[in-house]
Amino acid sequence: MPADVVHADARIGEIYLSATELARRVRELGAEIAHDYDGREPVLVCSLKASLVFTADLSRAIPILHAMDFVELAGYGSSRMGGHQQIRVLKDLDLDVRGRDVIIVEDVVDTGLTLNYLVRTLELRGPASVAAATLLDRPYRRLVDDLPVRYVGFTVPDELYVGYGFDIDERYRELPDLRILNLS
Amino acid sequence: MEPLLPEFHAYRGSEPPRFASPAELECAKVLDYYGIAWDYEPRTFVLEQDEAGRVQEAFTPDFYLPEQDLYVEITAMKQSLVTRKNRKVRKLRARYPGVKIKLFYRRDLERLAQHFHLDLAS
Repeated sequence: MPADVVHADARIGEIYLSATELARRVRELGAEIAHDYDGREPVLVCSLKASLVFTADLSRAIPILHAMDFVELAGYGSSRMGGHQQIRVLKDLDLDVRGRDVIIVEDVVDTGLTLNYLVRTLELRGPASVAAATLLDRPYRRLVDDLPVRYVGFTVPDELYVGYGFDIDERYRELPDLRILNLS
Repeated sequence: MEPLLPEFHAYRGSEPPRFASPAELECAKVLDYYGIAWDYEPRTFVLEQDEAGRVQEAFTPDFYLPEQDLYVEITAMKQSLVTRKNRKVRKLRARYPGVKIKLFYRRDLERLAQHFHLDLAS
């Protein structure tokens, strides 16, 4: 991404976490997961779309056999709600996770509403275990506790972010650094 | 005329809720959307009584999430006006140490609105 494109959009703020810092932490998480799941073959479940970049990097940082699959939920207020008043799955898993160790990969966990729904839904399918890895965590905003958030990249302040998978109107997910999103 | 409420699926109250603000209604819709059981203003906490036992101050949090055993107070007021509610939450915690309550500030609501595109206009 050319620097002038980034600077042309005033909503894209300063770097909060550089690509180097992100890569270092992702490597640590990958090693931790490899240690915890040694001898098993977990399934990384990427919750689309913002966690895609994190999932891709995390997968390559886990030096043990593992599978990868994708799920997408219709977020509240999104154009893809389609008038539904209850959450629904837009893209379901292709893999059968019965008896498998599942690691849900999230971009950010704050209220915990989405992750709670995913955990409950996946647990109905009889996995051996369900854990979650999130790039960013805002535990002080939790409405739902008792979530299996086992791997946390960074606990962050109550800001909004862009880059490294986070978008503004579907743009800038490819930015290598995580930047502050300026709304005002 | 009051706006027509949507059909709630995760509402655990007995009477139809009568929301005091659009922000409360939107938060109820979000909770319902994600299947989080909720109740609206189910309990009033006495914060202060006079010597005769008359209630001098009370507080009724907006939401109760039974599965989380958590009360949630929504406030779309300006940050400068939140002090009074903050004080009430502190008093509630002091008088009822076993009660979990979370205050959602204007800033929290704006974050939710940005994330979930809520209509917070009032």
